[in-house]
Amino acid sequence: MSGQYSSEPMLDMFIFETTQNIELLEQSILTSEKSSCYTPEAINEIFRIMHTIKGSSAMMLFNEISSLAHCIEDLFFFLREQKPQDIDCSALSDLVFEGIDFIKVELEKIKAGDPSDGEASILNSNIKEFLALLKKSTPSINDIQKPSSNKKQQYYITHENIIPSSKRNAFKATIYFEEGCEMENIRAYTVIHNLKEYTEDVYSIPHDIIDDDSSVQSIREQGFKIFVKVDKTYEEMFKLLNQTIFLKDLELIQLENDEEFKQFEKSTRIVIEDREIKIPQLRDTGDKGHKEQADSHLAQQSIISVNVAKLDKLMDLVGEMVIAEAMVTQNPDLKGLELENFQKAARQLRKITSELQDSVMSIRMVPLSTTFQRMHRIVRDMCKKLGKEVRLELIGEQTEVDKNIIEHISDPLMHLIRNSIDHGIEAVEDREALGKSRIGIVTLEAKNAGSDVLVIIKDDGKGLNKEKILKRARDNGVLSKSESEMTDKEIYSLIFLPGFSTKDSITEFSGRGVGMDVVTKNIETVGGTVSVDSVEGTGTTITLKIPLTLAIIDGMNIRVGNSRYTIPTISIKESFRPQERDIIHDPDGNEMIMVRGQCYPILRLHELYGVKTDVREFVQGILIMVEMDDKSICIFADELLGQQQVVVKALPNYIKNVAKKIGGLAGCTLLGDGNISLILDINALIGVLRNKG
Amino acid sequence: MNKVLIVDDAAFVRVAIRTILEKNGFEVVGEADNGISAVSKYKECKPDVVTMDITMPEATGIEALKAIREYDPKAKVVMISALGQESKVREAIINGAKSFIVKPFKEEQVLQTLSKILSI
Amino acid sequence: MAEAVVHELLEQEEDTQKGKFLTFTLGNESYGIEIKYVTEIIGIQPITEVPELYDYIRGIINLRGKIIPVMDVRLRFKKPFREYNDRTCVIVIDIKDISIGLIVDSVSEVLSIPDTEIVPPPDISKGGNKYIKGIGKVGGEVKLVLDCDRLLNDEEAESLGTIHN
Repeated sequence: MSGQYSSEPMLDMFIFETTQNIELLEQSILTSEKSSCYTPEAINEIFRIMHTIKGSSAMMLFNEISSLAHCIEDLFFFLREQKPQDIDCSALSDLVFEGIDFIKVELEKIKAGDPSDGEASILNSNIKEFLALLKKSTPSINDIQKPSSNKKQQYYITHENIIPSSKRNAFKATIYFEEGCEMENIRAYTVIHNLKEYTEDVYSIPHDIIDDDSSVQSIREQGFKIFVKVDKTYEEMFKLLNQTIFLKDLELIQLENDEEFKQFEKSTRIVIEDREIKIPQLRDTGDKGHKEQADSHLAQQSIISVNVAKLDKLMDLVGEMVIAEAMVTQNPDLKGLELENFQKAARQLRKITSELQDSVMSIRMVPLSTTFQRMHRIVRDMCKKLGKEVRLELIGEQTEVDKNIIEHISDPLMHLIRNSIDHGIEAVEDREALGKSRIGIVTLEAKNAGSDVLVIIKDDGKGLNKEKILKRARDNGVLSKSESEMTDKEIYSLIFLPGFSTKDSITEFSGRGVGMDVVTKNIETVGGTVSVDSVEGTGTTITLKIPLTLAIIDGMNIRVGNSRYTIPTISIKESFRPQERDIIHDPDGNEMIMVRGQCYPILRLHELYGVKTDVREFVQGILIMVEMDDKSICIFADELLGQQQVVVKALPNYIKNVAKKIGGLAGCTLLGDGNISLILDINALIGVLRNKG
Repeated sequence: MNKVLIVDDAAFVRVAIRTILEKNGFEVVGEADNGISAVSKYKECKPDVVTMDITMPEATGIEALKAIREYDPKAKVVMISALGQESKVREAIINGAKSFIVKPFKEEQVLQTLSKILSI
Repeated sequence: MAEAVVHELLEQEEDTQKGKFLTFTLGNESYGIEIKYVTEIIGIQPITEVPELYDYIRGIINLRGKIIPVMDVRLRFKKPFREYNDRTCVIVIDIKDISIGLIVDSVSEVLSIPDTEIVPPPDISKGGNKYIKGIGKVGGEVKLVLDCDRLLNDEEAESLGTIHN
C-alpha cells in the first residue's frame, strides 16, 4: 500500500471507521429486509455510508473499494431521488451484501498488512446493471438530477444582449489551474462569481462552463479566458485574480478598446442569479426520528477509539503498580513497627490502586451486542440457501466481556448458529407436519454468572439423537467409556470430539466434520467450557461458559521446592493436610486419596515438573482439591503461600515456540516479592492425570 | 496561529485534515460531525476558517454554510466535496463559500487553499 | 521532513554501531556479539524454571516487569554446566521482536572489528560451530562472532532427546 496517508493513525482510523460503517450498513439492510422494504431513512443512511467509504478509501488509495462504494452510492442515490416502486428488495439486499462482503475481505487484508488486491469490477457491473434495469422501469418522477450529470441545469447562465457598458477598463485574463485540483469548471465559476461583485460585464471562453461537459477539458488544456470591463486598475485586477486558489498561471492584459468584446455581442453574458436552489429535502422522518438521530450523534461524539495495544500496556502498568504497592506496604523492613499514619496512607493507596485496576478493566469490557448482531446475517444467509425459516432472538446482548475474549468467541458462535440452523431446525414442511410453528427459533442469550459469562445458544429444532451419536462414536472408535455408564450429557458431549458430524450429507455451511471440536478448542483457549443439553424433538441448548476477563484472576499461590505456582481460586474446592491412612495406592502405582467416601487421584507437582523438594511425603505437604467440569483431582504441593489477585502474563513467545507443549501452564505472573509464579491450567492438569490413568 | 474548525461526518476525513493542519502550524479549534453542531461550534470557537463537508446528516454542509454566513457574513468557509458534486459545490459558492477541495485531496491542496483564503 | 531527519539519525546510529562487538568469555574462549542486538547487561537474576524446555533454556526472569527467557550459552554449545557466580552475566538481546537473556561466564569489553578482519569459520557443519558466523582477529587474539539468529531459531536440528520430560 503506497497511500500518501499510510501513516498508522490514518490507517487505523480508516479501518476502524470503515468497519463500523460496514456494521451499521449490515444492520440497516437486515432491518430493511425484515420489514420487506427500504425506508427513506435507510436508503439515505446507506447512501451516506457509501459516500463516506468512497471518500476515505479513495484517500487511502484503495481504489477498488472506492469504486465499489461509488457504484452502490449511485444506486442508492437513484433510490433516494426517484423513489422507484416495485424494487426486488431481496435482490437488492443480496447485491449490497455482496458489496459488504467484498469490502470486509479487503479490510481484513488491509488489517493484516497485505495489499488490498481484490477486484470489484464484476460486482460493479452487476450493480450498474441492476441500476440500469431499475432506471428503465422507473418513470422519472421529478427533475432532480444526479449530481455528476449536470445537463439541463441552467440556473445560472442565461443568454442576453449586451448592455452598453459604462465601466472604464477592459481586461483579458487567461487562468490556468493546477493539475489535479479537480472540478476546474467550478473553479472557473468561482472566479466569475467573485468578479460579479464588481461588474456585470464578464464574458468567458469557454462560455458554457457548467453545462458543457467538455468545458473542464478545455479549461485544463487551453486555460480559462475571461473578458471583463471593470472600474479597477490593472494592479487591482491582478491582485484580485491572483487570489484564485490553485492558480498555476495568470495572464492579464489590459485591452485598449472593445474590439475583443465584439465577439460576445448577442451571444453570451454570464449572469449569476443568486436564486435559491431548492435542496432536495430528505427528512420525511417525523420529528421523533429526527431527535433520535441527533441523540445517537451525541452519543457517538463522546466515544473515542483507542488502540487495544495501548490498553494492554495500561493494563500491564496497573498490574505492575499492584505489585509495587504490595512491595511497599508489605515490605519486610516494616515488620514490627507501629506506623499508624503509614498504615492509613497505605490503606488509601490500596483502595486507589484497586479502583484503578477496576476501571482499567472496565475500559476493556465491551458489550457482546456487535458480535450478536452479526449473527443476523448468518441466519439470513443460511435460511436463504437452505430454504428454512428461522428467527434469531437475542437476549442480554448488552452483557460485557473483555475485548480479547470477544475476538475468540465470534467464530465459535457463528459455527454454533450455523449448526443449529443446518442440523437442528427442521425444514418448513417437517415442522408443520410435526405441529411446530412454521418459523424455527434460535435464541442467543448472554448473562453474567459470577466471574463468568454464560452464552447460550438454543434452538427449537429436532434435538440430538442419542442412538445416532453413539453409533457414530462407535464407528469412529472415540468411545472411552462403556455406553451403559454414560449419562445423557456425556453422550451429547461426544459431538464436540474431533471428527464428529451427525449429518449424513455434509453441507456447505457446517463444514466437513471439522465443526464442533474447533468450537471447543476456541472456547478453551480463553479458559472457557462448552456443554450441551438436548431433548429429542424439542431442541438443543449449547452453553458456553467464558471468563469475564483473561487479564486478572484471583489466585492461590503455592510453593513447591523453590518454585511458585498460582492456582485460579475459582477452581479450588478445598485444601487440607492429608492423613496417611486416607492415601490409597492402586496396583499401577497411581496414588489416590479418600475424602468423605470419595476417591480422588493425586497429582504430585514436583514429579510432574521435575522440581527438587524435600517435601515428598503427603503428610508433610498439602493437598489442594481442584475441580473443573465435574472432575476433581488433588494437587500435592509443599505449602500454601496465600491468596491474591494476580495479573496474568503470557509466557514469552520464545518459550512457547521452543517447548512445543507446556503441560498445564496458563501463563505466569509476578508476585509481590518480584518472584515469578507459573499459573496452572487446571483443565490441562486434569487431562494430564487422566491420560496417565 | 490560524484557527480552523473541521466539519465532516467521517472521522477519517477529520483526522486526515487535522493531521495535515497540525503538522503545518494551524490550530484546530474544533471538530463537528454534522451541520447543526457545526454552527454552534462556529459560534463557540470563532475559527478563522472552516472546512465543511457537503454531504452530512443533520443539516447538510450547505445549510450549515448558510447559517454560519448569516451569523458572520465574513466567515471563511471551504467546502470539502467528493467528485461528481459539481452542482452542490456551485450552490455553496453562491452561498458564500470561498473555495472548495475535492476528495481525495492531497496535503498541499489543503494547505494552499487554506493559506490563500486566510491571506485574502 | 521530520521523518527524513529521524531516518538520518537512525542511519548514523546504525553506522556508529557497525563493526562493534560486545565480547564475552565461556571458559577459555572469547566470543563476540554484534552490539546492535544488545539491549543491556545485567548480573545473574533469580531464574524461574519452566518445565518441558530444552535444558539450555534455564527458565524465565523478571526484567523490571517484563518476563524474558534466559539461555545458558554454555549448555547451548554443549559445554559442561558451571555454577553461576558474581562474574556470571546475562546479556539481554533483542532480535526479531524476541527478547532473550544469554547467560555467559563473564562480559569483557566492546571492540571494533572491521569486516576485513573477520573470516568465515572453517567448517560450519559440526557441533556448536554452526552458531558461529565468523572469526574475528583482534591483535593476536581470536573472537568467535555469534550468529544470534541461529542461536535462537535453529531448533529443528536439535534431537528431541534433549527435552527432559
